[in-house]
Amino acid sequence: MKSRLKPPKKVMVTYLLPILLVYFFIFIVPIIMAIYFSFFDFKNINVKTFIGLRNFKRLITDANVIISLKNNLYLVVVNLIGQIGIAFILANLLHSRLINRRIAELYRTVIYFPVTLSAVIIGCVWLLVYDYDYGLLNWFLRVIGREDIVTPWLGTLSTVMPCVSIPMIWQYIGFHLIIILSSMSSIDPGIYEMAEIDGAGGFRKAVSITFPLIKSTLGVCVTLCISANLKAFDHIVTMTNGGPGYGSTVLALYAYKVSFTQIDLGYGNTVSVSIMVVMLFILGVVNLIPKWINRKRGEI
Amino acid sequence: MKQKTGHGNFLTHTGKNIARFFIYFIPGLFAVSCIFPVIWLAYTSFKSKTEYTVDILGLPSRFYLDNWKYVFQNLNLGHYLFNTGRITVLVILLTLIASFINGYFISRYEFKFRKFIFGAYMSNLFVPVHAVMVPTYILFVKLGFNNHWWSTILPVVCMELTTSTFLVNGYVSTVPVELEEAAAIDGSSFTRTLFTIMLPIIRPILTTVGIITFFHSWNEYAYSLIMFKNEKYYTISLALQRFQGEYFTDYPRMMTTIFACIFPALLLYSLFSKYIMKGMVAGAVKG
Repeated sequence: MKSRLKPPKKVMVTYLLPILLVYFFIFIVPIIMAIYFSFFDFKNINVKTFIGLRNFKRLITDANVIISLKNNLYLVVVNLIGQIGIAFILANLLHSRLINRRIAELYRTVIYFPVTLSAVIIGCVWLLVYDYDYGLLNWFLRVIGREDIVTPWLGTLSTVMPCVSIPMIWQYIGFHLIIILSSMSSIDPGIYEMAEIDGAGGFRKAVSITFPLIKSTLGVCVTLCISANLKAFDHIVTMTNGGPGYGSTVLALYAYKVSFTQIDLGYGNTVSVSIMVVMLFILGVVNLIPKWINRKRGEI
Repeated sequence: MKQKTGHGNFLTHTGKNIARFFIYFIPGLFAVSCIFPVIWLAYTSFKSKTEYTVDILGLPSRFYLDNWKYVFQNLNLGHYLFNTGRITVLVILLTLIASFINGYFISRYEFKFRKFIFGAYMSNLFVPVHAVMVPTYILFVKLGFNNHWWSTILPVVCMELTTSTFLVNGYVSTVPVELEEAAAIDGSSFTRTLFTIMLPIIRPILTTVGIITFFHSWNEYAYSLIMFKNEKYYTISLALQRFQGEYFTDYPRMMTTIFACIFPALLLYSLFSKYIMKGMVAGAVKG
């Protein structure tokens, strides 16, 4: 509700303006600068020359950008299936009436814990799992006598992307689990009781009742998951730093490396801007799909 | 043994027990995977390097404190924890004040550019930090704002303003306007009403904002990476990474460092897990 007691303009400005100025300066100005700078080549921070669209030409022909984008898309797909899929299954199990409420609560609390840790910590922990000599995984393989499949997991091109995605999936299952559970708790239990009387089993209930009723929540999960994986950076820097070669490089990491390791600020900035463009494009398309499906249904 | 009834879907006694087994076992297994690493890190921090290489999962044979001594005396981890803590405290404080003011005014009053201002705060959602790395860096270098202990404070506050303004805005709109009107009639000044009447009322949402901000700031990485060149300003994320490169062959030492970095979050989480889960999810879904 809007108040009728509007304070004088001077008071409003004194309160709102300082914060707004800081925000503009730190966040909005760089966005504008980023777009502007993508038409320039930088010799150093102070010397730049206008080069038109050449950065963009280089961007679309750069093999490393293609690899990075592919890796980003790989992460998006794998994490969508892994995080939201597993979280949905776990949510249905924990929401069952057969489980003790207290234990379900304990599970939930424990499963959420990794979400509160930083990606750097998660990366370091998983390095201890994947390590060649003393990693948990290779130790386990040696114990069960499968010495033959022991490899440097993060150093092999064919295994690096799956191995990098497992920690990311593992860490954020708890996040989606809590969102899905809180949405499920608002479903009227009477619906489930009626379905049970009609003979519906656990699977049927999950697919025919829970899924359609929490569709919009799942939509939120999907959006969050996509944008998180398009800006994936911290996990990968910690675990592989993009290696072997460019095997696990993602867009944000490539942009960082070009800008701050190769000190090519102009082109690095253009790669950065491309993250924004890709993100807006993919989120736009994903949000259009449900509308498109509804329209199709409407036509029939 | 009982079979399923003719209709097929009613679970019999045995069937129910099998179902119960899976319902407890599958999430249980995953929950163990979430807590086991922390326990493993905790007890391995009391093992020596040789003891670790003999048996990586075994419990320590004696109370070996050298790792802890090394981490705090030689690596000076306490200093990096202090750096991170100092930034986090200031970020939380500034975020609370800024989001309280923003959320309150945007929710309560109609004024010029209101929609525009709100939109500007929300635009953050579609622009990841990594998309503005270079211009932010250039801007900060030119102004001499980079590479100070306080360099990342304002950027992180701005990053947090999106969710927190949104949350406060939503919460204030549920508080009846009559409260402030009554206060005004009683002669309370605007600023006094704002801080002595509104602030206590919206405390629950500010708690949520504080929690979200704590974890984001404590775990912040991208801005620190481009702002801090001098090692003495490093936050724990940066320090951990540097140690990981340098001391990686000494696993128990590395694990002690990781555990020490996890510990504050672990402590907070075990005390306030309910609030934290609720708060962080509210921030994510609504933001």
